[in-house]
Amino acid sequence: MTPPSSPRVAAEPAEPKAGGVAMPIWLIMLLCAVGYWGMVYFDAHGGRFQAQVYAPYAQLSEIDELQPASDTEAFVNRGKAVYETVCALCHDLTGSGKPAQAPPLAGSEWVTDPVERIIRIALHGLSGPITVLGEEWNLAMPAMGAALPEEDLAAVLTYIRQAWVNKSPAVSVEEIRAVKAAHAGRTQPWTADELKKIQ
Amino acid sequence: MNATFAASPSNIPARTPPTPADVDLSSRTPLLWLFGGAAFWLLLASVCALIASIKFHGPGFLADQAWLTYGRVRPAAWNVLLYGGAMPAGLGVALWMLCRLGATRLALPTLAVAGAQLWHGGVLVGFVALLRGANTGFEWLEMPRPAAVLLFLGYLLLCGAALATTRRRTERAFYPSQWFLLAALFWFPWIYSTANLLLLVWPVRGVTQSVIAWWYAANLRVVWLGLVGVGLIFYFVPKLLARPLHSRALAGVTFGGLVLFGSWSGIPGSAPVPAWIPTLSSVAVVLGLVPLLATILNCWRTLKGQGRAAWADVSLRFVLVGLVAFVIASLMYAALGAPYPGNLWQFTWLVPAQDHLAIYGFFVMVATGGVYHLLPRISGRPLCAFCVRVHFWVAVTGIVLTVLPLAVAGTLQGLKLADATVPFTATVNSTLMPLRISTLGELLVLFANFIFVRNVWGVLGSLGRARLADFWAAGTAPVKVEEVPG
Repeated sequence: MTPPSSPRVAAEPAEPKAGGVAMPIWLIMLLCAVGYWGMVYFDAHGGRFQAQVYAPYAQLSEIDELQPASDTEAFVNRGKAVYETVCALCHDLTGSGKPAQAPPLAGSEWVTDPVERIIRIALHGLSGPITVLGEEWNLAMPAMGAALPEEDLAAVLTYIRQAWVNKSPAVSVEEIRAVKAAHAGRTQPWTADELKKIQ
Repeated sequence: MNATFAASPSNIPARTPPTPADVDLSSRTPLLWLFGGAAFWLLLASVCALIASIKFHGPGFLADQAWLTYGRVRPAAWNVLLYGGAMPAGLGVALWMLCRLGATRLALPTLAVAGAQLWHGGVLVGFVALLRGANTGFEWLEMPRPAAVLLFLGYLLLCGAALATTRRRTERAFYPSQWFLLAALFWFPWIYSTANLLLLVWPVRGVTQSVIAWWYAANLRVVWLGLVGVGLIFYFVPKLLARPLHSRALAGVTFGGLVLFGSWSGIPGSAPVPAWIPTLSSVAVVLGLVPLLATILNCWRTLKGQGRAAWADVSLRFVLVGLVAFVIASLMYAALGAPYPGNLWQFTWLVPAQDHLAIYGFFVMVATGGVYHLLPRISGRPLCAFCVRVHFWVAVTGIVLTVLPLAVAGTLQGLKLADATVPFTATVNSTLMPLRISTLGELLVLFANFIFVRNVWGVLGSLGRARLADFWAAGTAPVKVEEVPG
């Protein structure tokens, strides 16, 4: 075996020792100052350890204010969320419709008139000429509501009937089920003339 | 030197401290196992990292080989770098320091050799499994269970040898580096077992898994690498300058800061968990700046007026570059964890830039400095001074060319992603040139690791040849008359 010490390896200093210099007072003060900031920051953003508080909210009270006051309000909020993902692309977030895409919903007689009509339009679609707020439209609406859960459809129709200038009664899940049962197997969209016969 | 730690002669049997040469000889075999493997894994990790880096501007590169696709090569590169390269290199230097600082021979060297072999076996199993597509899905914990079991057992054996060595020490007073190394020895089994049990064996539910995965990653990369790396810095800087470390008290602040503040950090501000968890993490990273300041102050005062002497020692040069990388990487980590500019830099190239600087620029460089200092001492074989200097410059250039472009790309990306008028493709395209430059950096790192393998394996080869020659000489020696049975 080769001896571990070799003349070609430089001589090595002894093992190091640690000096006894005390921690400077300014570092202690800095640690206290940063610690104080940390507590203030945590108080302001930490949500006091509440498991319901997620960023960007900082306090439970903010979350409480955002909760719906009643079941009705929660139902309409749900409808708003469905409207924004399913309907708003063509009918616009303001319900004013878009030229050559979809007629307006805000103030439209087809929305506020008997609930039986708007449920049918959503479930099976609508094609052919139709007059909305005195203006002639000739487009095809697909059966957007057919694939939605019944609760979501009821919620979005309620939202449409109560948002903007509309002030019509809510749509219930039972009403939707009744229409579905009455027209089970229908694949064709409705026309304005057909709908006018329904009161 | 310190009366409170001095041994009372009644309960500790007096031992004569061995000579440094004896200590070095006792630790030779385990350390050569650790360093030989670590150098090989570093090279392999940088090959994988280079392939992963090329794929960002040449997506067709090796795309038809399933085992070389990005999703497999990238975790393989980072896991092999951390578990295969960084940790055994650091553990080897730590074992040697515990022997030297305790003025005792390495206890249970066979256990340490077995530990090193199990550890490298675990990395091998994990590497093959990752390339075959087995991945646990948790960042920094990607290696599947068989690899984790081998790593854990290997670590426990190494840990046993280190603790037995510390118990047998003849120098009773602890030097600060010993706090760091001993704490790190205990830290890893705790975090590794907790993370594996709660994420893979009996998985906890929902987002709690993410919290545990972030906690593990922070404890491994900030606390474990920090404790060992800073422990090495606090040892080699004063030792090689032949002067005391400036302040034991400031070292205590660094230690307490890493353990207390480092261990709560790591939960990003955007994490989908109750707000108090990321908020606490943000507070922890900002509080961590105070111990960082204590570390800088301590090293600065120790180095004061000795800059030229420090630079002349090539091992210390590696350690000093590691120290600078530690400071920058810690500042980047604090910036990522703080609410601002963390919200700008999250999900950008700055995150891998920080990883690269912390693991390679800081930890691997410091450990390499240690390896180059002790390798000639434990082996009796001098290193080629020119090769070590080439390694140093290639590695430094490689780190700068990898980290700086990624940091620039990350900042550009963060600013553009925050601007709704910039199309996403424009954001991606603006990072292309920095990514190409970082590939060049990765290539240089690969070259540096190649030189490291050459230097370490050169020593191994030379020892192996000497041993073979001894064996041959003993076997072929003419039979003496006395040996012939009568």
